[in-house]
Amino acid sequence: MKRNKLIWQPDRSKYPEHDSNGKPIVDLKSQKFTKLWQGPNHPGVTGNMSLELTLSGDEVVEAKTHVGYLHRGFEKLMERRTYMQCFPTSIRMCVAEPDSNEYVLSAAVEELSGIEVPETAQWLRMLALEMARLQVLLRVVPGIASTLSLGLGSQWGMYMREHILDRFEELTGGRIYHMYILPGGVRGQLPDGFKKRMLENLDMIDGFIKRIEDLIFSNNVFKKRTVGVGILKPEWVDQFGVVGPPARGAGFKRDVRKDYPYLKYNEIDFDPFMATDSDIYTRAIVRKQDLIMTVDIIRQILDKIPNDKEIRAKTPNVLHLEIPKGEVYARSESSRGEYGMYIVSDGSKYPRRVNLRGPSYTHAVALLEKMLINANISDVHAIMVSLQTCPPEIER
Amino acid sequence: MSLKDLLTPFTAWKNVFEDSYVVKDPFNDRPGADRYRGFHKNDISECIGCGTCEEICENKAIDLVPVEGIDTKDGDSGLRPRVDYGRCCWCALCVDVCTTNSLSLSNEYTWVSEDPEDFRFIPGVDKKPWDDNEKGWKKPEGEYNFYEPERVHMEHLEPEARDNSFIEMVKGFSKEQAQKEADRCVECGICVATCPAHMGIPEYIKAVRQDDIEQGFKILYETNPLPEICGRICTHKCETVCSVGHNGDPLSIRWLKRYIADQVDSEDYKKVLGTENIEKNDRKVAIIGAGPAGLSAAHYLALAGYNCTIFEKLPEAGGMMRYGIPEYRLPYDQLDKDINYIKSLGVEIKYNTSVGKDILLNDLKREYDAVFAGTGLHLGRSTRIPGTDHEQVYMAADLLREISLGNEIPLAEKIVVIGGGNVAMDITRSIARLQNKKYGKVDVTATSLESEDIMPADREEVVEAREEKAIVDPGWGPEKIEIEEGKLKGLHVKKCLSVFDEAGRFSPTFDEENHKFFPADMIVESIGQGADLSYISDDIRDNIEFNERGRMVVNEYFQSKAEWLFVGGDIIQGPDVIHGIANGHQAARGIDKYLNGDLKYKSE
Amino acid sequence: MDKIIKDLTSRFKVTDYIQQRPNMAYVTVQKELAISLITHMRDIEGFTHFVLLTAVDWIEDNLFQLTYILNSPDKKVDLGIRVMIDRENPTMDSAHHLWQQVATYQRELKEMFGIDFPGSPRVDESFILEGWDDIPPYRRDFDTLKYAEETYFPRDGRGSNDPAEYMKKKLYPDEEK
Ligand SMILES: Cc1cc2nc3c(=O)[nH]c(=O)nc-3n(C[C@H](O)[C@H](O)[C@H](O)COP(=O)(O)OP(=O)(O)OC[C@H]3O[C@@H](n4cnc5c(N)ncnc54)[C@H](O)[C@@H]3O)c2cc1C
Ligand code: SF4
Ligand code: SF4
Repeated sequence: MKRNKLIWQPDRSKYPEHDSNGKPIVDLKSQKFTKLWQGPNHPGVTGNMSLELTLSGDEVVEAKTHVGYLHRGFEKLMERRTYMQCFPTSIRMCVAEPDSNEYVLSAAVEELSGIEVPETAQWLRMLALEMARLQVLLRVVPGIASTLSLGLGSQWGMYMREHILDRFEELTGGRIYHMYILPGGVRGQLPDGFKKRMLENLDMIDGFIKRIEDLIFSNNVFKKRTVGVGILKPEWVDQFGVVGPPARGAGFKRDVRKDYPYLKYNEIDFDPFMATDSDIYTRAIVRKQDLIMTVDIIRQILDKIPNDKEIRAKTPNVLHLEIPKGEVYARSESSRGEYGMYIVSDGSKYPRRVNLRGPSYTHAVALLEKMLINANISDVHAIMVSLQTCPPEIER
Repeated sequence: MSLKDLLTPFTAWKNVFEDSYVVKDPFNDRPGADRYRGFHKNDISECIGCGTCEEICENKAIDLVPVEGIDTKDGDSGLRPRVDYGRCCWCALCVDVCTTNSLSLSNEYTWVSEDPEDFRFIPGVDKKPWDDNEKGWKKPEGEYNFYEPERVHMEHLEPEARDNSFIEMVKGFSKEQAQKEADRCVECGICVATCPAHMGIPEYIKAVRQDDIEQGFKILYETNPLPEICGRICTHKCETVCSVGHNGDPLSIRWLKRYIADQVDSEDYKKVLGTENIEKNDRKVAIIGAGPAGLSAAHYLALAGYNCTIFEKLPEAGGMMRYGIPEYRLPYDQLDKDINYIKSLGVEIKYNTSVGKDILLNDLKREYDAVFAGTGLHLGRSTRIPGTDHEQVYMAADLLREISLGNEIPLAEKIVVIGGGNVAMDITRSIARLQNKKYGKVDVTATSLESEDIMPADREEVVEAREEKAIVDPGWGPEKIEIEEGKLKGLHVKKCLSVFDEAGRFSPTFDEENHKFFPADMIVESIGQGADLSYISDDIRDNIEFNERGRMVVNEYFQSKAEWLFVGGDIIQGPDVIHGIANGHQAARGIDKYLNGDLKYKSE
Repeated sequence: MDKIIKDLTSRFKVTDYIQQRPNMAYVTVQKELAISLITHMRDIEGFTHFVLLTAVDWIEDNLFQLTYILNSPDKKVDLGIRVMIDRENPTMDSAHHLWQQVATYQRELKEMFGIDFPGSPRVDESFILEGWDDIPPYRRDFDTLKYAEETYFPRDGRGSNDPAEYMKKKLYPDEEK
């Protein structure tokens, strides 16, 4: 007997039907579609966010991002806090990499009020920011494989990350929320022996990178699942405000550290990695290269960091610090891409408006909704994680 | 697909034999890092309950609460911070801002309890296992400050420029300097209780910061009608308790007050203070003495509509502020600025009118509804050592008065001043200036019973006296004055070992072996002044209570037992202008109550 | 940058030009000309990267300020474009046709400030605040503290003392002002 071969039918021009606006006509009552909620309690690495998926078979025909599970209105809360009080509040807008918040807030405050940050503090800030990137990448580089059920790399990564958190604890007094970069400078010198311990950790991470190259990047299954999947078209980059690794994976060499050098980045030798294939695999490779580059940057920082006592500029009394009227947008390159804060001052002690621009605001909403169309249900979280979505920065 | 891609993932198996990274006993094996921000600690004896930690906490995690066994006293509110860990985010801003450095975070992070209420406690008071932990977050010493610990330098005339003149020494703040100084204030308000007049110190400093001079000026006048004067010569007790002073210099509260008063022109006073139209009543109050106490009482009574007449023995108003304090510290035009405003409120001053001589207290009692007496201490006290009756031995108060009156004082080439207080420094420095003018050199020595470290004079007075080439040689007890053939030769002294006994009573001890002789042609005694209450006739005196030290007894409104008579200033409390002002103000409140029938000497 | 601003001043009547830093400037433009200015910037001047769109509530002037920040990846400069709109009945022309991502921003502004962008996709769908029935919460007249006090219950036993007042109470309670 001749067996009918089951053929994957990628041609979606016929089914489901589309209305005149190009939107699929979904009639749930027809029993031909399934609504599926992914999240908000999803054990992925993405935090609390949910995707409302409409499936036809195992294929996504419509996706909607739902956020709000973490909303505290931080931007608004800052409007009734003095600038110094804003600094511990700001960090909560991104749990994974809170340092970027501290930095952009401080940079914006300093720019508006004309505060010059001491040399050493600038290096220490850069160190903290790169360490933050490092600990994030140690999680997300192998994390992408976890979404496809290869969790081992993530466990190694977590182990590595703990060491970096130990260094953070030494330097800043905190593991997750470091509260280290504050308006005017930073809050502490390098502790004794820090460099040595950090360099040992970096050597260990070199080994870790080799191991995940073997485990993940040369893994046939991983490649099968990610190469050619989750394509982010280059023409979408500007349409959807794509920044950071996803942009660099799509052939756009955008990196705030290079394009708008801040702190001491122009004294550091680095070249952001770029690729063009723009699939999940490519974005993972870009992040892995970022990880290698970050390790290298930290080595350079440790080598060049001056040993000066002055770590915070003299500011007026922070209890009544008023900032001249004006508006400013300060940006930095987080592990996810351009991360910026727009602050409007009305000349008082309190900001008039704070607005955070986090990469996930566009990546996880408009872009993700677009990219999930026609994706297979089993690829959804890999696509999502490949954009490194971070809900708190969406809803703030 | 390459073979490598199939095989390499299996290399992960080699990790099977690796040790796992697990902290077996986190409670003991894994202390927080040296800078870890864990649960709070507070050094309760250092903390002054200023509440600055509460002020900066962005999470409202801190309450200031009374603590049993910690008293409210000058410089310590008696409150202590209590932390609610339901809100704390361990940012340690409270630690970084703490004015006394008492607050810190320990490196403890593993503490658990099943009772949520346990997570709200008063660090340092509620004992915790980590109270003795050395490690944890401390205010980064010397690395940064949330407010400037050093005061803005106040410019003084150089010693050369002031040596032979009575020009004001202290130059005063510019606007930039004043605002910079005002910025240092943490607005805790600890100082208010210590100020005898309880001035609104943080509020007027805030007004300086915000450049709202009119507002600041109004605040000054709420409690102090002599701000130009106090802005220059106040004993500024407030500055001794300023919380910023625990970790740097206290605020220059006095100079900031002066700055505000200096900015307002005399012509604008009434407009700024809103006193252009005061509704007068028909009651009359007599005030004896135009010193700060009398002036303050007159001011507040006038504001309340009373008709006030001040009777003053001397030709001009001001009391000791004019006839004691030298001009280089308090120029006469500034004194007049304050006094003229009070006069402009309708206060009449009858000069050269001594109560008891030119008019009797009983006349005042008859003709006025109430009387306030602030007659001060004008009789110089003597050491009564042998030789003090010599004609070349003078009283500081008398000489200072003569200088102010514009009279020439007897001035020898070699002078010794006995006394170590501010009055002694004033006369010493005045003599130095006059000697310089007259002889082109300074030869005056001030000697006191108290040794340098316990001299009652302000430190800067001593330093400045020396800058002006006067000699200050403290720690000697005067024995006798050497007189040869009727001519004064000098002062014999012996080393003083201690001034007070263990109970704190005045009971000096001397080293009888250690003597010294200060040659001099003239000696000035400056060991204090006494009151002249001879104007209180016996019939009235019988109606008043006196305590064992001869002071009149008054109630909290400075009312004497003769209920129409209120008394204040140096004769009651002293020993400075601001107490006089506060007494006068309180007495004015009392007189107002008394005349409205609401006040008795002793409330039943 | 100077050249661009000159050009914009004559063409789009921009005002209040501020050069915040060498590679970032802010201008104000009339509501009616805003979208054509933004289109011009994107298509002619190469400001292809849309950084953000947000609003500032100037309640005392009865105005909302909309700020569009555009970036030119080639020239590496930013331009902040302010548009002042009436606070009473706030509407603004949509820019979602220029960048698809803008719809998200506009949806949030509708929800948080109550500013309408007619025609913007899903602009009326709630974004963050599902089920919200108070005034748009990012407006200045929405009092977060009051809301929190009314919505949540405070922890028992909290309460603080002002040091100066407490000291008065303890040390000189009878003295009136
Ligand atoms: C040399 C010197 C320096 C000082 N320096 C300072 C200083 O830097 N800061 C500070 O705060 N304080 C200082 N003081 C103290 C301060 O001057 C006094 O505490 C304050 O003036 C007391 O005010 P009062 O109103 O009680 O009395 P006084 O100022 O003494 O005024 C009493 C007035 O009553 C008049 N009077 C007395 N008897 C009669 C009568 N029978 N009839 C009519 N009028 C009468 C007197 O002539 C005098 O004008 C100083 C004192 C001296 C002597
Ligand atoms: S800031 Fe320091 S001194 Fe002041 S109340 Fe707080 S802990 Fe005590
Ligand atoms: S650590 Fe921060 S949140 Fe906690 S009590 Fe201190 S200031 Fe408040």
